[in-house]
Amino acid sequence: MAENKWGMIVDIDKCIGCQACVVACQSENNIPINEEGHFNQRRAIEWIRIERYWEGEFPNVRARFVPVFCQQCDDAPCEPVCPVYATYHNSEGLNVQVYNRCIGTRFCANNCPYQARFFNFWEPEWPESLKNQLNPDVTVRSRGIMEKCTFCIQRIRRSTREAAKDGQEVEDGDRGMSPACVNACPTHALTFGNLDDSDSAISKQSKEELKQPAGSRPGGRGYHMLEHLGTHPNVVYLKKVDKTAEEHEVHG
Amino acid sequence: MAITRRQFMTYVGGSAAGAVVFQACGVPADELLVQAPVEMPEDLVTGLDNWYATLCRQCSTSEGIVVRVMEGRAKKVEGNIDYPINQGSHSARCEAGLQALYHPDRIRGPMVRVGERGSGQFREISWEDALGRLTEQLQNIQNDGNQSSVVMATDPVGGHLGGVVERFVSKYGGRHMGYEPMERTTVRRAIKHVFGQDTMPDFDIENSNVVLSFGADFLNTWGSPVRHARGYGEFRQGDRERGDFIHVDSRFSMTAANADKWVFVNPGTEGLLALSIAQVIIDEGLGDAAAAQALTNNGRFNLGAFAPDNVAGATGVSAERIHEVAVQFASHGPSVAIGGGSAGAHTNGFANLVAIYSLNQLVGSVNKPGGVILNPTSPFKDVPVTAGVDSFADWHRLAEEMRNGGVQVLMVRDADLFHGLPQATGFKGASFNVPLIVSFSGFIDDTTAMSDLVLPQHNSLEDWGSDIPDAGPGYQTVGFQQPVVRPFFEHRGEHLGTRNFGDTLMAVALGLEMDLELPGDTFQDVLKDGARQLFEENRGSVKAVTFEGFWNGLLQRGGWWDDSKKETHVFAASPLVEVPQASFSNRDFYLMPFATTGIGDGRGAALPWMQATPDPITSATWQTWVEINMHTAEELGISEGDVVRITSDAGSIEALAYPHPGVSPNVVAVPVGQGHIAGGRYAKDRGSNVYSILDASSDSTTGALAWAATKVDIVKTGEWKRVPKLENTVTEPPRDDERLIIEITPLDS
Repeated sequence: MAENKWGMIVDIDKCIGCQACVVACQSENNIPINEEGHFNQRRAIEWIRIERYWEGEFPNVRARFVPVFCQQCDDAPCEPVCPVYATYHNSEGLNVQVYNRCIGTRFCANNCPYQARFFNFWEPEWPESLKNQLNPDVTVRSRGIMEKCTFCIQRIRRSTREAAKDGQEVEDGDRGMSPACVNACPTHALTFGNLDDSDSAISKQSKEELKQPAGSRPGGRGYHMLEHLGTHPNVVYLKKVDKTAEEHEVHG
Repeated sequence: MAITRRQFMTYVGGSAAGAVVFQACGVPADELLVQAPVEMPEDLVTGLDNWYATLCRQCSTSEGIVVRVMEGRAKKVEGNIDYPINQGSHSARCEAGLQALYHPDRIRGPMVRVGERGSGQFREISWEDALGRLTEQLQNIQNDGNQSSVVMATDPVGGHLGGVVERFVSKYGGRHMGYEPMERTTVRRAIKHVFGQDTMPDFDIENSNVVLSFGADFLNTWGSPVRHARGYGEFRQGDRERGDFIHVDSRFSMTAANADKWVFVNPGTEGLLALSIAQVIIDEGLGDAAAAQALTNNGRFNLGAFAPDNVAGATGVSAERIHEVAVQFASHGPSVAIGGGSAGAHTNGFANLVAIYSLNQLVGSVNKPGGVILNPTSPFKDVPVTAGVDSFADWHRLAEEMRNGGVQVLMVRDADLFHGLPQATGFKGASFNVPLIVSFSGFIDDTTAMSDLVLPQHNSLEDWGSDIPDAGPGYQTVGFQQPVVRPFFEHRGEHLGTRNFGDTLMAVALGLEMDLELPGDTFQDVLKDGARQLFEENRGSVKAVTFEGFWNGLLQRGGWWDDSKKETHVFAASPLVEVPQASFSNRDFYLMPFATTGIGDGRGAALPWMQATPDPITSATWQTWVEINMHTAEELGISEGDVVRITSDAGSIEALAYPHPGVSPNVVAVPVGQGHIAGGRYAKDRGSNVYSILDASSDSTTGALAWAATKVDIVKTGEWKRVPKLENTVTEPPRDDERLIIEITPLDS
């Protein structure tokens, strides 16, 4: 079996900020209902969120959207600070969180420059009937546990296992394996796949887009978020195109 | 290690020795190990899942979806990749259909009111009792020969269910009225005027070079947003040159945020701006000469009066900008002009939209790739594409009639009149003169809370149905909706629980000894008969030898479509119409109500995922906020979270201030859909209802509610409440040249 190294491409020139990914993630991953009070305490949980940045003001105003989630860093700052090895790197390039090891020190969240980790400050609660919707493939996290985007590992596991039953490997772009956010995205701004498979759409595209010199089309729009921190993320962002922007204009 | 009890029983059932059986079953050995300390609980596989194709009924566009069902429970919604409208994608609203299905406050069976009307006190009764009560009332009215005093109000109900409703109402002799809070009456009439079509057209954004839109938040809530967004992705970074997108709007919406250029226009002058663009195109000979002749009625319509210099003052858009937009639109085709939303919600909305859509005629974009694609008629003889919607003027008249005692029975399904109709209509007060209000809704919305008798319908995921998408994808398409789970309240027996709305009407008709002349005794029969018509056509996406095979194929694919059946007839352009001046009351700010990503026009307010979905522009959730220009707010001493009173001629509401840099100083924007008096635990008494304070003004041609035509004053109340928003949930990284979050590149550097 080929080596797997899961990655994602986010084309922010396509992202419209519609929140379809956000709700799809909540549904797939049993994320507790974010009540009004949770927002007020700034403790809402969104494994994937849409950040909005203002530029200028009326009438020459712009708002730009960027989806932010765990970057599955190869050198993840969250990993070395966990005293109980609850967060570690698996063989497929994923930064995973072992819930039943986590003791809730929150060091990892402090150390994550992408603020992609969320702490369960409360025991998650649903009215009895809404529990029927919960995904049986995903553990409900209890109070005191850290959680974050898993690239929908349950889907990767299920589809690879089902393919293996027939002696096959999962095909690139298989919707059964793609994370919930990727399937939901109406503009196809998100691409998921195996970076180590040289034939996969994502590895071809990321090579094309990350090539130097940056900035020229086609290709050359790729960058890693907060690259200078040396976290080596497995998520590649593709730059927003703006005809009026000056080269290397700085935002964020 | 998660082996369910059922799995365990199966394994053990084969042999007395469990351990041996495990191996014999061929279950991979690693699954049987005690969970390794590093193994994620997610690594374990439980149960089998099935995906069923059906339709999402959470908003007026029905996307094709597939629902993941495990052990009889719906778990996840995803887009149906086969369905032509959305091709695999879906919106946040589709996903939340699951919460509507398992909502803790769903109506569990038929009920009759026991307390005062509106007190929300109901007693459960059996279906026989409930049907008997309704039948008896209708019988009495029939005996008096007063059938026209019976009114059926529904959402715009299309497909075969719409046919059953029409049949029931017309056979009985009552009236059927369709209701939408932010109605599309005006845009439909404008489409009819410009393209000669009853159905909404498709916009081929995917192949367009220039998209020029006016007022319509078409990537977010207007029209068929998932379809538009899919096209937009290709338009930006598909296998083609990157398209240009200009958005003209009085509010900085999510769609405006995605445009290359957002052009602020003074509310109610969108039509003037469009005429001015047309003037430049014709004057400089950039457009189609024949269309120019037709549009100006051979020069009789004096476009010269709308030259950019003449309208710059009124519209608030500089003459240079108008000229630039016109040239770009006309000379870098294919281009498409889209109008709707607030541009059509003024007292001159119809004229605005006619001017806007006529731009497509002028540049020859009608039924051309990258332009406006017309949709064909329905493949059924008896089911039209367009579901009837009555205008605000009609509802206003109905309120008057109710006040005078002219309505004996008001039957309602999924039309939240009490929430959506402005106070100024006096609908609420007038309803007390209606002796019987019956609701068929499956959920306690504000109108159902005011009713006397409730005969609840199934949730859409438990129910049969069909939909002819409007707008369609440019060819004949029919979506079929099948139950993906058994009705949630089925266990309560046949006397309680919920039923299909069509079946309920058919049962009432039976009680009245009224022959509806429908093909069968249940709604499913009606639907199957429709499918049989398609089968007999012997064309399209589902091919089968037998009808049973066809029916199964239909349900598996989620519908039927024939991409060879397109609209080929293109009407010549009709003359432009004069754009009258929009009328407003004399107050400080233009009020721009808007539907949000989550709760939409109010239909999603009951669902916690929708309440908690951040608004893309403000990231606010769960509340009613008012967007105000940050400098204006500063002058008024208003800061974020200040509770402000918003007063119109018709009334006032309170909302939390959210100043931001994207609002024009003369505009305030307030999301619709909150302020329910009922609606279950997540919606009740939350935020304010901005519909209630709208002036009762309507479009002068179509009578549609001019929901963007209200002006308001705002005053700080002195109270403060934190705005529940996602923004600042995580701290922003320091802004300096070294820490880029969003990197931007010019097109070709």
